[in-house]
Parts: sequence; C-alpha cells; structure tokens
Amino acid sequence: MAAVKGAGLGRALLRLFAVQGSYNYERMLGLGVGVAEEPLLRDLADGQYRPAVARGARFFNAHPYLIGLAVGAAARAEHDGTPPDQIERLREALCGPLGSLGDRLVWAGWLPFLSGLTLVAVALGAGLSAVAAFLMVYNIGHVTLRWWALRAGWTHGTRVSTALHHPALHKATALLGPAMAFVVGVALPVSARYLAAPFPRWGQLGAVVTAGVAFLLLRWRGDRLSGLRVALGLAAVALVVGWIWP
Amino acid sequence: MGVDLVSLPQMMIARPIVAGAVTGAIVGDIATGIKLGVMFELLQYDILPVGAVRYPEYGPATLAAVATAHAATGVLGLGLGALVGLVTALIGGVSINILRRLNSRIVHAASPTLESGDPRALVRLHVGGVLRDAVRAALVTAFGLFLAWLARPLLAGPLSARDAIVLATAAVAAALAAGAAGTLRLVGKGPNLGWFAAGLGGGLLVAVWLR
Repeated sequence: MAAVKGAGLGRALLRLFAVQGSYNYERMLGLGVGVAEEPLLRDLADGQYRPAVARGARFFNAHPYLIGLAVGAAARAEHDGTPPDQIERLREALCGPLGSLGDRLVWAGWLPFLSGLTLVAVALGAGLSAVAAFLMVYNIGHVTLRWWALRAGWTHGTRVSTALHHPALHKATALLGPAMAFVVGVALPVSARYLAAPFPRWGQLGAVVTAGVAFLLLRWRGDRLSGLRVALGLAAVALVVGWIWP
Repeated sequence: MGVDLVSLPQMMIARPIVAGAVTGAIVGDIATGIKLGVMFELLQYDILPVGAVRYPEYGPATLAAVATAHAATGVLGLGLGALVGLVTALIGGVSINILRRLNSRIVHAASPTLESGDPRALVRLHVGGVLRDAVRAALVTAFGLFLAWLARPLLAGPLSARDAIVLATAAVAAALAAGAAGTLRLVGKGPNLGWFAAGLGGGLLVAVWLR
C-alpha cells in the first residue's frame, strides 16, 4: 500500500491530466478514469486486478479537475476489499456532487475570475505579462486542486464525502462567486473601451447600440441563440451593410 | 493547442487570450494578437462546458483570426480576422461532436474487451482517443489557416476601410453581448447580481477615466 501511495499516486496524477482524452457519449470520461485508476490497482491480487480495472473504466462523468477524488476513493475501496456493488454505488454517487462542485468552483469561479482580471490588466496596458500571470496563477490552483482531490480520495476511500465537505472548498466557492461577478463586471466596459478605442465615433456608437440589441436577443432567445450564432449573424449583416452603403 | 481544450492537459493554453497573445508573438504582432484574444475571450464567456454540452472551439479560432489580421494597420484586420475566427470556431465545435460520436462507436465496439479488464486494451483505446483529438485539432487549425490565407488578400483591396470598421464593430458588439449574457447566466438572480452590477459601475468609471 505504501508503494502504491508514492509512485502510483504520481502516475495516477499524470494520467489525470488526460482524463478527457477519449471523451465519448457512451461512457463519457469512464475510460480516462479507468486509465488514471489503473496504477493504483497494480498491487491487487490476480483475481481482483482485472475486475477492478474493468469497473474503473465504466461510465463516469464529473468535473475533470475533481475526478481524482473518485479515482482515489474507488482505488482505495478496491484495496479495502469493499464489495463491487458498493464501489459501483460510490462511483454513481460521486458523479453529481463532483460535477456540480467543480463547475461552481472552477468553470463559474476560478477561471472567469482570473480571466476577467486578465482582461482588465490587458486593457490597462499590462500586455503579455498579464497573460503569463494568468497562465501561472490559474495552473497553480488547477494542479493543486487535482493533487488534493486524488490524495483526499485515496485517504478517505468510501468515506470520501468527508473530503467534499472540506471547509476550504466551500469557503472558496462562496468567495469566488461574488469575486467573479464583480471582476467580470469591471472587465466588460473596460474591454469595450479597449476594443473600440481605435474606431471612429460612429463605430463606437454603433458598437454600443448593436451590443445592446444583441444582448437583449441573447437574453430573450438564449435557448436557441448562442454568442457564436449572433456573432456570425451580425458579421453577415455588417458585410451586407458595407456592400450597399454608398 | 487544440488538444488542451478537452484532452490534454486543460491548462488553458487554448484559452483565446493566451492563444491570441502566443500567436501574436509568433507572427510578430502582439498587439493584434492580444486584441483578438480579448474579443474571443469575451465570446468564450458564453460557454459553460458542463456535461456533454456542445460548444464552439475558440482557441484555434483565435489563432486563425490573428493569422488573418496581423500586420494590418489600425482596425482593418480586426473584423475580417474575427469573421475567419468565428467560422473556424463553428467548424471546431462541429468536429468535436463528430469525434465524440466516433469515440462512442469505437468504445461500444470494444465493450467486451473493456469488461475483461485488460489494462493494455484500455490504455490503447484511451491513447487512440487522444491521438484522434490531436489530428482533429490539427485539421481545424489547418482549416483556419487556410481561411486566413484566402481572406488576407481582401485587406489589400476589395474590403474598404469603412467596410472593415463596420465588420469590426459588429464583431466587437457580438463579443460584448455574448460576454455580458454569458456572465449573467453564471451570476444568476441571487446576491452575486449586486456584485456584478457594482463591477459594471466600477468598470464604466474606469472606462470613462481612461478616455
């Protein structure tokens, strides 16, 4: 078990960076989870190893950065001799909470928060250094989260829900929500000024009015329209306007 | 760059602001790279990559946009670059969906092997998925660069300065609208809405102060 903890956890962590590599609609991230879990299962007895690998590769979906919790917990449960059906139930039970927590913490918190800060810094003239700082700071959080998740899963096994209730996770989620909202709020007008500054006055006015109309369209028909569709539609209109404008 | 979005290692190398800056540095026009990076970063806010949701691919799109717009003076290249990038993003999104369907078929066919618990077969299938994504990302990037190659001559003739500004205005407007709408979806109607409004107010003050 001690040998597994050292080299096995390191290998599992490296493999977790590619956990979405074979993303598919049949098993979602299952294959990636199985591949990441496999190094932690190598010292199981002959009759246990292959069934455990097969279980590890079944359907699984969650946030990729927190998936290590499931990988570590399932591997630990296999080592502890937990019955297979209980391990299956553990995996099923973890999909929802890991997805929801990761989405709030990373996709709706850490990432847009840092991205918003970068947009503000770029608009204020920070340039490449702001982009480099974004990459560095983001990935310190990213890699730390992946490593913590894997270790916590391995430590707690079937009692992994204890790790999900870690106060730091909840504090971070509670802080990042308002921080993200505020920072992106600042970033929008500052970025608008940065992007439209070289336009002539009529172009700046046109950008503001068109952005307002497009925003209302996206709010009104958000179920059918996406930013990409609106952008392509507006670009087509702009080409037509440019063509017929005498 | 394209594999970073989903497959490996999801370190945000393909994030538009990063892709734009890096491409700008490569082609020797960092200012245009960062400007298009900001525009596509705002469009990226429209996406929340949860579950099996389908989304456009803005990393290679930004690369293609910068390849189109670089070295064009002022805002001339901005709109055309954005247009090339938007089409590339659309194709990128479609290609991701096709790849996932292909992966599903391959995984379905390999179910008996996977259920046998053969670790080599499992790793082989998984690595195959990563390689297929790498090929997909390379094809999308090549497509974007091809579009850029087709579009660049337009900057020298058929597209007038005014047409270019109209196109850039539309692209910036769409990016701002998508950024605001996407952020509002994340913020919701709870207490964070107040923080968002406070941020907007502060941002407006900064924007006015910078004039």
